[in-house]
Amino acid sequence: MTERHVSVENLVKTYPGAAKPSVDDVSFSLPRGEMLALLGPSGCGKTTILRMIAGLVEPTSGSIRLNGREVSGIPVYKRNMGMVFQAYALFPHMTVAENIAFGLEMRGIAKADRAAKVARALDLVKLSGLGDRRITQLSGGQQQRCAIARSLVIEPELLLLDEPLSNLDAKLRDEMRDEIREIQGRTGVTAIFVTHDQDEALSMADRLAVMSAGRLEQIGTPRQIFDRPETEFVASFIGAGNFLNGRVTAAGEAAVDGFGALRFVGDAAVGQDVRLMVRPHRLVMGGAANSFTGTVEHIVYRGQILTMTVRAGETRLQADLHTHAGALPEKGQTVTLGVAPEDVTFIGRAA
Amino acid sequence: MKAIRNLCLMLLYLFLLAPIIVVFIVSFDTRQYLAFPPESWSFGSYAKVFANDAFIAAFGRSVVIGLVVGLIAVAIGMLLSMALVRYKFRGRDTIGFLVLAPFLVPSIVLAVGLMLVLSPMGLLDTYAGIMLAHLGITVPYTVRTITMSLMAVDRRIEEAAMVHGASPFTVFRRITLPLVSPGLIAGGVIAFLISFDEATISLFIVSIRTSTLPTEIYRYLEYSTDPQIAALSVVLILISVAVVVLVERLIGLRKAI
Repeated sequence: MTERHVSVENLVKTYPGAAKPSVDDVSFSLPRGEMLALLGPSGCGKTTILRMIAGLVEPTSGSIRLNGREVSGIPVYKRNMGMVFQAYALFPHMTVAENIAFGLEMRGIAKADRAAKVARALDLVKLSGLGDRRITQLSGGQQQRCAIARSLVIEPELLLLDEPLSNLDAKLRDEMRDEIREIQGRTGVTAIFVTHDQDEALSMADRLAVMSAGRLEQIGTPRQIFDRPETEFVASFIGAGNFLNGRVTAAGEAAVDGFGALRFVGDAAVGQDVRLMVRPHRLVMGGAANSFTGTVEHIVYRGQILTMTVRAGETRLQADLHTHAGALPEKGQTVTLGVAPEDVTFIGRAA
Repeated sequence: MKAIRNLCLMLLYLFLLAPIIVVFIVSFDTRQYLAFPPESWSFGSYAKVFANDAFIAAFGRSVVIGLVVGLIAVAIGMLLSMALVRYKFRGRDTIGFLVLAPFLVPSIVLAVGLMLVLSPMGLLDTYAGIMLAHLGITVPYTVRTITMSLMAVDRRIEEAAMVHGASPFTVFRRITLPLVSPGLIAGGVIAFLISFDEATISLFIVSIRTSTLPTEIYRYLEYSTDPQIAALSVVLILISVAVVVLVERLIGLRKAI
């Protein structure tokens, strides 16, 4: 797992005429077999990174290495990448089997071998028997599978997926999400996929690289990103959060208006002003290590969840509680909420 | 209301088709001059047309010129369209305008201009001369149809081919070319038909050696006006219709334009 299969170093892309770089000094690396999600709002440069790795866009500076070898000088068609495009970009004038065989044909593989590999690829993506269909005769999900098969059949060095699920309806998306993950695991291919959907990124990727305005904000496992966001952007882009200002009074403890002392996780020097974050659903009714009392200002019953805004001192907090058939807090009521110290994350110095 | 609309439509079609209908009817007349309506009917004029060596030879030349012009116009159109659609360069708009300029210039002006240019080069009444002249008026059409097809091709499809191992030339041959083929065929057919029908410019460029069918018809009309011309016109119309129907069946011409 320590072997660096793909590494991107100080990658920069500035489009001609643009004031700011689209990709600004981004570095990360992947071990073989890992699935990395590039996550960020649209226009953050994630697709540009993917296209630079594929060779479709020339980097302004920086390096991209595959197995330690620089790929910048290698033209797109010799990089041995598989890529699944957002709208699949299947060849409309070819059948499903011809689409999948295309990469093999380009590699000069004999016809008989080609047929065998195509059959296996069709089987892998559960399209067996549909090889003779035309692309237009496939449903969205089937086209998606066909695009994946076309990319995997060439046994690529790296599989790149550009918003692979955005063209599918919600139900199919969940299904394909598991399926892509499963196929990637089974083939062991190293993969990078681009998405703006946090659920997709959290559930599919081994690690997430969160981007904003061309810069890499944080890279880590889904749990690291969700539970220990390092920047306010990451904390607010992924999941909801209550952001609190406080001053450190002792190691791992800060004075926050409305709470009194709030214990948190993270290194901050005594006397420092800090920014802390608590996820709304990590707040629980009743006392815990960190407990506080406040007034319910606003309440929304959403079936599974009760969302309420609680005011403690000058601080307003959102709390998402699981509902039950018994008595639930009501507007105007005074409630006591608590949160475990592990669920209070230190994000940085207060602005 | 509906009856009135249908009547209007019928009148409109009648107006559009009247000359052709008249020609069609006259072609069966037995008299040796053009008059309407015919007094007696026969296929005699058709027999004479097919026995007329000048017509048959000119027909052959027109077909050859049309085919060569069609093929070259498609090739030039493809290259120009690639440049105009795919690349941003200085003067792109100017070139785009120049390519379509022959649409705007009256044929007679073009004809005089072409004659003045081709004459010092010794290209009058040569195949090269007439083909060059016809290319000038047909390339705008091929550029137009091919540009339309090319703009409809999703660049990501070409990128997908490239990522999966196709060199730029292979992408062009295996992906781009097949995807724009409706535009190529439509452009080629239109170029062929225009070259095949073209009279104004041809009259200035050709004389004996490379006379095309339209110029041969014109020359024939100068001296005689018998129903042979009507019969020949009907044959030409049928050929044009056959080509269009064939293409329509094959690729859907209306879709390609």
